[in-house]
Amino acid sequence: MRKVSVNNMSSYQESDTNGAENSTQLTIEVVAENALLLSWQAKISLTQHNKIITLQAMIVQQLGELIIETVASYHCLMVYFSPQLSTSTQMIDKINSIAKNHHASLEIDKGDTPKVKSLHGDCIKIPVYYDTEQEWDLADVAKRCNMSMDDVIKQHSAETYHGYALGFTPGFCYLASLPESLHLPRKSSPRLKVPQGAIAIAEQQSAIYPIESPGGWHIIGQTPLPMYESKNGQFNTTINVGQNVQFYAITKAEFIAIQQGLQT
Amino acid sequence: MSQGYLEIININGQASIQDLGRLNAQHLGFSASGAADEFAFLSANKLINDTLAANKISIKHQHNIDELKNKKSHCAAIEVTLGQVSFEAKAACIIAITGADCQAKINNIAVNNWQCYQLQTGDMLEFAMPKTELHSYLAVLGGFTCQKAQKPWLGSYSQTINEMALGFTGEKLTVGSKLYFSAQTKVLTESALEKTNKPKEANKPFKAPSQFYAQQNLTLRIMPSSLFLQMSSEQQQRFLTTDYIISPDSNRMGYRLGDSRSQKSPAKSANEKILSEQLRSRCLLSMPVTYGMVQFPDNEQPIILMKERQTMGGYPVLGTVMQTDLFRLSQMRPGEKVNFTLISHQKAQQQLTAFYQKYCL
Repeated sequence: MRKVSVNNMSSYQESDTNGAENSTQLTIEVVAENALLLSWQAKISLTQHNKIITLQAMIVQQLGELIIETVASYHCLMVYFSPQLSTSTQMIDKINSIAKNHHASLEIDKGDTPKVKSLHGDCIKIPVYYDTEQEWDLADVAKRCNMSMDDVIKQHSAETYHGYALGFTPGFCYLASLPESLHLPRKSSPRLKVPQGAIAIAEQQSAIYPIESPGGWHIIGQTPLPMYESKNGQFNTTINVGQNVQFYAITKAEFIAIQQGLQT
Repeated sequence: MSQGYLEIININGQASIQDLGRLNAQHLGFSASGAADEFAFLSANKLINDTLAANKISIKHQHNIDELKNKKSHCAAIEVTLGQVSFEAKAACIIAITGADCQAKINNIAVNNWQCYQLQTGDMLEFAMPKTELHSYLAVLGGFTCQKAQKPWLGSYSQTINEMALGFTGEKLTVGSKLYFSAQTKVLTESALEKTNKPKEANKPFKAPSQFYAQQNLTLRIMPSSLFLQMSSEQQQRFLTTDYIISPDSNRMGYRLGDSRSQKSPAKSANEKILSEQLRSRCLLSMPVTYGMVQFPDNEQPIILMKERQTMGGYPVLGTVMQTDLFRLSQMRPGEKVNFTLISHQKAQQQLTAFYQKYCL
C-alpha cells in the first residue's frame, strides 16, 4: 500500500533569538477550495494569541479584496479567500511573506507572561448573579471541585480572562483561562436549554451564552448584560476576540435592577 | 412601490429562504448557512435570467436595479425540503423550479421540473413529496424576501434554524407566510410575462441535470488534512475502503455517517482503529471549521459539516470534501451509501472555479 502524500502544506519556522526552545512554528494548510488554516502550537497562550490576531489584522489590511473572512481561535486562524481571484498556492506565498514581516516587526517575547496587556484596551467587567436557588450547576461544581460555593465564586471572579475566539452561536466568546482548581470536563449529556446570559465553565474555559440554546457546559450564574447589540444592520458583540474580561458578583436584587434598567 | 408576493397556503415539509450565505460573518459566530445544493439553486436563477435573455428583455434600461444586476445570478430563493407545500400567487410573477422533483402542479396541471413559468394572480402552485432527493428550489425574478422591503442581514437573506430566535432574518416560513418579490422587478416582470411559458405549455427540460447528481452511491473526493497525512498507510486505506451509510440524524448542519459493516462486527479493538489515540490526543482545542470538513469523533463515525455548520469545532478532522461533491451529497437521503477518495486541492479548486464560471460568479 502506498502512503498518500499530497503537497498541500507549507511551514515557516520562526527562529527566535532565544533559540529553538522558544521558537514557534506556523503551518499553513489548504483546507478547502476557498480556505487556508494557519496553525501554531496547540496551546492556550496569551502571547501566541496576540501574535495570531496581529497577523490577522495585517492579512486583512494588506490583502484587501482577496480576503472574504478571517476567523481566529486559540491556536489557529482560518483565512477565507476568493478562489476566483487567487489560487491557494498564491495565497500561501502572500501570507508567508506577511508572516515573515510580522515576525520581524514583533518584539522578541520573553515567554508567556500572564499579565501581558490586552491589545484591545480596557477590561470588560461583567456582573454575575452566582445563582444558588435555581437547579443549575453551582452546587455540583463546588462538590466536584471539593470546595464551598463561595470559593467557586471567589475563584471564578478573581481571574482576568482573555477572549480567544467567537463561535458556537453569534456573540459566544471563548474565555480563558479558568483557575486550575475549577477545571471540569463538559457535562456528559448537554442541557437542551441554557438560558440567555448564563455564565458557564468547562475545562480551561468560561463563557456567556448570548441566547437561549442547548449547551454542555456547567452553569454557575447569569448576567443581566446583553452579549450583543444590533444597530443599522451591524452586529456588535459585547466581548471581542483579544479583549480582557473580569466577572464580579452581584445580588439577585441588583440583577433585577440592572435588567429593569436595560428595559427602560 | 407595492410588492407582490406568494402566500404559503399549506406546508408539511420544511422551507426556508436561502442564497449563497454569509461566509463573511463567521468571525462573529454566525453560521455561513446558504443553499444546501448550489447547483440547483444557481440553476433556478439561471433559468430565469436565460428566459429573459432569450426574449431580449434587457435589464439595462431599468432604473433602481443595480442591486439586481449584481446579484441576479444568486437571488434568494425558497429551499423546500421534502416538498409538501402549496403557494398562492397574489400577483403575477416569473418563477423557476429546480432540485428534487416535487411533481409540481400549477392550478392542478402537472409541470416539468427544471423549468421557468409565469404565474398570474390567484394561481396555485403545489409541491408534493419528491420520490428521490431532498431539496427543491423555487426562485423568482429578483429574489424572495419574507418581509416587505427587507434588507439582507450581514450580506445575505439566508435563514439558519439555530439563529431564528435572534430575529434578523424574519420568521420561520409557515402557513400564511408571505414571500415578497423585489419591488424593483415589477416593470420587468410585466414586460417579460408575455414571453414566458404559460403553465399549459409544459415544454422541453433544461439540460439533463441528472448528469450532475449521483445515480446510486457517491464517492466523495476529499482533500486530506495534515492529520490524515500523519496516519499510517494502513489507517489511511482503512478509511478510504470503508463504505459508509448516511445516518437519519443528518441535516442542513451536518451529515452523520455510519460504517456499513459495524452492525455485524463487535466494538473495534485498538489496532482496528482508523485514528490512533496518539494522533487523536493532539486535537483537543476548538478551532475554526469549514464547509465539507470530515470530523472524526471517538466513535469513528464521520460527520461531514454542511451549510448550517457552527463556526468552531473540537473533533479531529481527516480532510475536506470538495464543494461540488457537497452539493451532490446534500441531495442524498439517510440509508444511501458514500465512500471517500483523495483529490488534490489544486484540482478541487479548478473544478469549483469552473463550476462558478457557468453562473458568471
